[in-house]
Amino acid sequence: MENTSQVPVTVLTGFLGAGKTTLLNRILTEQHGRKYAVIVNEFGEQGIDNDLVVDADEEVFEMNNGCICCTVRGDLIRILSGLMKRADKLDAIIVETTGLADPAPVAQTFFVDQDVADRTKLDAIVTVADAVHLSSQLTEHHEAEEQIAFADVILLNKVDLVDESGLDRVKDRIKKINPFAKIINTTRCSAPLDEVVGLNAFSLDRILEVEPDFLESDHDHEHDDDVTSLSFVSDTPLDMDKFQDWFGNLLRTKGQDILRSKGILNFKGEEERYVFQGVHMLMDASPMGPWPKGKDRSSRVVFIGRDLDNMNLKEGFENCKSA
Amino acid sequence: MNADLEALQKSNKTELERRGSIFNIGAPATEAVTIRDQIAVGFGDGTVRFFQSGSDPKTVKAHKGVVLSMTNYEDHVLTGGDDGRFLKISSDGNIDEIFNFGSKWVDCVASHKDTKVCSSGKTVYIWTKNKDKPQTLDHQSTVAGLAFDNKGKRLAVSRYGGVTVWKLNNNKWTSSNFTWKGSHGTVTFSPDTKYIVTAMQENQIHGWRINDKADLAMRGYPSKIKSFTWVGDTPYLVTSGSSDAVCWPFDGKEGPMGRKPIVVANGGKELATFVKALNGEKAVFTGFTDGSVLLAEIDESQKPIMIRSSTGSEVSTIAISSDNSQILIGDMKGSILLSSLWADN
Repeated sequence: MENTSQVPVTVLTGFLGAGKTTLLNRILTEQHGRKYAVIVNEFGEQGIDNDLVVDADEEVFEMNNGCICCTVRGDLIRILSGLMKRADKLDAIIVETTGLADPAPVAQTFFVDQDVADRTKLDAIVTVADAVHLSSQLTEHHEAEEQIAFADVILLNKVDLVDESGLDRVKDRIKKINPFAKIINTTRCSAPLDEVVGLNAFSLDRILEVEPDFLESDHDHEHDDDVTSLSFVSDTPLDMDKFQDWFGNLLRTKGQDILRSKGILNFKGEEERYVFQGVHMLMDASPMGPWPKGKDRSSRVVFIGRDLDNMNLKEGFENCKSA
Repeated sequence: MNADLEALQKSNKTELERRGSIFNIGAPATEAVTIRDQIAVGFGDGTVRFFQSGSDPKTVKAHKGVVLSMTNYEDHVLTGGDDGRFLKISSDGNIDEIFNFGSKWVDCVASHKDTKVCSSGKTVYIWTKNKDKPQTLDHQSTVAGLAFDNKGKRLAVSRYGGVTVWKLNNNKWTSSNFTWKGSHGTVTFSPDTKYIVTAMQENQIHGWRINDKADLAMRGYPSKIKSFTWVGDTPYLVTSGSSDAVCWPFDGKEGPMGRKPIVVANGGKELATFVKALNGEKAVFTGFTDGSVLLAEIDESQKPIMIRSSTGSEVSTIAISSDNSQILIGDMKGSILLSSLWADN
């Protein structure tokens, strides 16, 4: 259920030099009339003096809960619970991660810690990518690939420094890893802030907007990127018990290779839409109000990860259709 | 099991609410400590307010942001804030800045007699009497809790992976590590100093018998434990985090090992968020997620007493004046109840 008192949190990733600092400076200095707290990492480049900038240490902690890939950002739990004690209400919180950070522990923090989950919500993972250097970074660093894979929004920065065919090539590369992210072309991170902060991207409405034909035709085996995506659609209502069995087991056994999963589901006998989102083995599902009038009640699930071809995803999803 | 809270809530205002004063500060109450006949409360707007029966609270504008941590120190309070300042504050409003850490938060504070301690990041800073420069103790991860034993000889520092216990010998600190996988928060020594206990990031508390480092795992909580308090002579370690106040017995050689806790003050659907011992009695105040507070004896056959009715905001602090005459209850919305505990006061 949507809780309006939850403060939205934007996670900002991207390689060193891509333009994260430019964006953070804009968030802190522009007259936007909103109160944003920014959590920066100690190895960041900026030296911004502002009451609402908090230094963090990027302490990745393993949870002692038997979940093998379950790591969280311990410092983030501490800082977010501190920020929630402020008298003045924050409009949003932005968490910067270091260039080489794996986005998973940050995202998982919002699933694992109940206090964090009660008072904040992960709004969107925004990745700043350098249009000039992204291709070589994707080849050299798996972190770059993961940052693209996790993103809800990609700010493709420095587009003024590449020609049209170069831009098309880098976008193709991004779409092969993550066709679901919204790509915004920018120079000097000049995108309107309301397209970056406060998006409600994790609420998954946007999944419905992605064109399924594009996804299906995209799935080929020619490229080298080992992170891929798959999406399935069904107009037949799904059986809730079958889906829960399949999906729960899938995340338990293959969660390490599934970076992101998201979906919107039409269950037989249920009036409401169900949405879910997952990061590795952790997922969160909830009803999201009735289906919009005049729109098809179709279920859609999306997976981004490695080795997806060996998970029998299509067969598993098909088996969830109600008889 | 009876839902004590649900039955009691059907009545109107409590006796303590009728005879007490209610203040709406508008910022979350984060910490409360007792100094003589006053109770100092830190708030999410950076103020420290000194409450005393029969008068309006005195307000000290201490920190820019949130008062993150607070303890008493002689006739003063020590506070740590998210503005990076470590302060000594007197009840007449004098502020002495002990240190400014800039953009780093002062997460934890502690004191013993004339020693002032705070943590910022992974380092603990110790100021001893008449020394301007602090001694520093470094750790591998951010410090999440500080506690002196009752003699001030040992300082427990909780962190990721366990607790470091520092011991002062001939002006030199030596350390001993108590290890348990996971992230450890608030830490406490048992009153007899035989045990140390931490509240963990997972829904459990963890303890060690200090002499042999034997582990005590206390699990089964539905939520994180944010508060614990030592009660009575046994003593019991009473914790929040469940629909009851969970009371672990720490008597005998083995403490709570292999024993079940006593549970009192059932909150029904509400979870306990703050617990505070009533000094000198085998009884505990338990605050819940809805703002209500029960007083219960550590005796499952006794009915608890309703102290404060629901405010809709979770209880974040409870303090009792040093003479046991006054109680102060604060919640996350900044509502404060100050009341005399006894009818003849």
